[in-house]
Amino acid sequence: MNTDLNMKVNVLPVYTYNFLHVNDSTLSFSDISIDTCSGPEADEVPVGVSLERKIPFDKAGDVFRKNRSRIMSISDDFVMPNGDTSDRDAEQAVRTGLGIDVDRLFVDLSATTDIYTVSENTVVSKPVILRFNMQEGQGNLASYVIHAKKNSEVTVIMDYSSEQSSSGFLGVSTRLLAEEGAKINLIKTQLLGDGFIHFDDIGGACFEKGQINVVSLELGAKNVWTGCYTNLVGKEAVFNCEMGYLCREGRFLDINYVTDHRGKKTDAQMQFKGVLMDNSQKTLRFTIDFKNGSSGSVGNEQEDTLLLSEDVINRSMPIILCQEEDVDGRHGATIGQLGEDLLFYMQSRGIDEEMAKSIMVKARLESVARLIPDPQLAQKVQYYIQNVI
Amino acid sequence: MSENKQIVADIDHSLYDFKDIENEQDFYRMKEGLTEETVLKVSEEKNDPEWMRDFRLKCLKLYEEIKMPNWGPSIEGLDMDRISSYVRHKSDMKGKWEDVPEDIKNTFEKLGIPQAERESLAGVGAQYDSELVYHNVKDEVAAQGVIYTDLESALHGEYADMIKEHFMKLVPPTDHKFAALHGAVWSGGSFVYVPKGVKVDIPLQSYFRLNAAGAGQFEHTLIIVDEGADLHFIEGCSAPKYNVANLHAGCVELFVGKNARLRYSTIENWSKNMYNLNTKRAVVEEGGIMEWVSGSFGSHTSYLYPMTILKGNDSKMEFTGITFAGKGQNLDTGAKVVHVGERTSSVISTKSISKDGGIGTYRSSVTIQKTAKKAKASVSCDSLMLDSISRADTIPAMDIRTNDADVGHEAKIGRISDEAVFYLMSRGISEEDAKAMIVSGFANPVSKELPLEYAVEMNNLIKLEMSGH
Repeated sequence: MNTDLNMKVNVLPVYTYNFLHVNDSTLSFSDISIDTCSGPEADEVPVGVSLERKIPFDKAGDVFRKNRSRIMSISDDFVMPNGDTSDRDAEQAVRTGLGIDVDRLFVDLSATTDIYTVSENTVVSKPVILRFNMQEGQGNLASYVIHAKKNSEVTVIMDYSSEQSSSGFLGVSTRLLAEEGAKINLIKTQLLGDGFIHFDDIGGACFEKGQINVVSLELGAKNVWTGCYTNLVGKEAVFNCEMGYLCREGRFLDINYVTDHRGKKTDAQMQFKGVLMDNSQKTLRFTIDFKNGSSGSVGNEQEDTLLLSEDVINRSMPIILCQEEDVDGRHGATIGQLGEDLLFYMQSRGIDEEMAKSIMVKARLESVARLIPDPQLAQKVQYYIQNVI
Repeated sequence: MSENKQIVADIDHSLYDFKDIENEQDFYRMKEGLTEETVLKVSEEKNDPEWMRDFRLKCLKLYEEIKMPNWGPSIEGLDMDRISSYVRHKSDMKGKWEDVPEDIKNTFEKLGIPQAERESLAGVGAQYDSELVYHNVKDEVAAQGVIYTDLESALHGEYADMIKEHFMKLVPPTDHKFAALHGAVWSGGSFVYVPKGVKVDIPLQSYFRLNAAGAGQFEHTLIIVDEGADLHFIEGCSAPKYNVANLHAGCVELFVGKNARLRYSTIENWSKNMYNLNTKRAVVEEGGIMEWVSGSFGSHTSYLYPMTILKGNDSKMEFTGITFAGKGQNLDTGAKVVHVGERTSSVISTKSISKDGGIGTYRSSVTIQKTAKKAKASVSCDSLMLDSISRADTIPAMDIRTNDADVGHEAKIGRISDEAVFYLMSRGISEEDAKAMIVSGFANPVSKELPLEYAVEMNNLIKLEMSGH
């Protein structure tokens, strides 16, 4: 089936100056071939995990709807920030980074969802591995719900790969629910071919002491939209994110990460490390939102971006929203080229500028790649990095 | 929510909140609303040259076409049909305080302006409602060739061509809806020209007082600091509080020449029924320096983001600002900078305090164009939350289009440290005083940038706000 895509995605939680063109992003392509509307099954469904295959996308959201009053609860004293956009995605079963237009696409194309449910009090030792071995010209929509019941733990690895010279389309939705004391580790590696269009949409909710940890490497594809919206609704809920990205040769990367703190003593740590080369462009929106009632919470968002060409475009929007007195919110961004001191040091040891840049790019990306728990995939990613740098 | 925002908090701001009754005998007040007729009437009142009258009409058309912003505080409570665009005293502008009408003179006496002029200023312009009522510059400063006059006189005098060349070129009326409104009904404001190499040792000040209820003030400030010159300009503003909305949509255009320096300091203390939709912009030539010092304390709703265009190589900008959002206030403030020239640098440092349900938003943009090789930009914004019914939001943006730039950004949001309060209380200081001291310390980086008497005024304002007046 061929379809036209015209979606407004990655909408900022609060609008700002229109002249910057960062309030949202348009994902618009005509005549996209989508031949599969379900995702690949895991290599193996580990003990302690159950799988329901091919559930309609909307119905798969029921697990979030059942908990809607908890996930979406808002204090009567809540005062909206200026330019608030929350109404837009309010009808989603669980809010996601890219937003409601992605849900509509999945529903319109009758895409299905695989639901992986982890039993209570179960620590799953083996990861759930989902491999997307995309072929030239292939178009795939895939949707997953990962539901970790009380005090369980699971690691899910999603490997998006194809031949480097290939083109195609891959859109993935991943919705996560970490119940009380549960932990979900989500690892995503994106090594798609140079002509791929790709979006990766994540939405999650953590109950008391629930935890979602995301490790993401965005290294391939031509046009990429990725986003994650995490609701930290329970006391001491945690969200950790480490993202590494590489943009080169005209690539376009658009990111929107939001943590919504509503529970007390919640904790979010987000780190984005990336490299822009050639004539690539990247927009990074990252938001910490302390709602009233989230007393004792901590949020920290950091960006470290290396710019290696005079033709790059880098946009960054590090936002903190706050309606709670007793919180500690911080963000920091360092954007620029390699420091002269570092280059001088390298050169004094016989390493020329090109080699020095190559070493620093690899170091940055490999520091995230090291967090991949599957040795085979980690090696594949390292090989990819060595190959393209 | 918009209904809540329209409620004007009943706060006693006695320093500024005194009213003078404006009777029909002494004051001319244009009827409320904005139409072609009112715009032509303002133009007639101002005795505009033809180009300015045509410009006003073009701006009115733009105002009608341009949409309201979709990103800032609600301005639903502002109804232009209830705002008079032009109110003036029937007497002319004076060059001596003793000639200023008694009631207006009393107002400025209470605000301490004549005293400040005598003690610490090189010149003063005082605007009451829509028109300047007093303008004077010290002889020794005038002897240096410094021009400090009202814009209307400049428009008809020997500087007419200079005004035409610069007026609303930096802030075009297409910029946003309220820039267009300003272009249509502007009135009052000052023109300053500092010739090449002239350094004005003590500041000039313009003070804007909006006394009339349900009125707008649309003054235009145009400052040209020529090559190698140096100026400190202070802007103050206040108004008594009414139960109807007032509007301030002024415009400030600053031209900083090669190797020149301009410091522009503002203490904004509009009353809490004011919609402050002001636009300020500077362009800086090679080696020039633009310094902004900005304190935002008043207004019901503010949109205020002074912008600097670092056009020339090696030009610099520093912005130091503080915003104190209290009960019933929604203050959306910050700064914008565009780096165009090589080796340009900008430093933005802001503090924001939110209390009693006030909404304080820091909003900024740093744009580094491809031509701005070796540009450096640093942004630091700290917000202090004094309770959990207020908001402190930080919404910065960076757009970088060269690799040969160094950009750093950091922000923090938090509350007054319990340990610090406990320490001060253990030394016999009351909890309220301890918190006020900590807040004053938080604001210190801004107050130390102000001349002493203004720093004292700012600290008094913070004390007033902290004690809940």
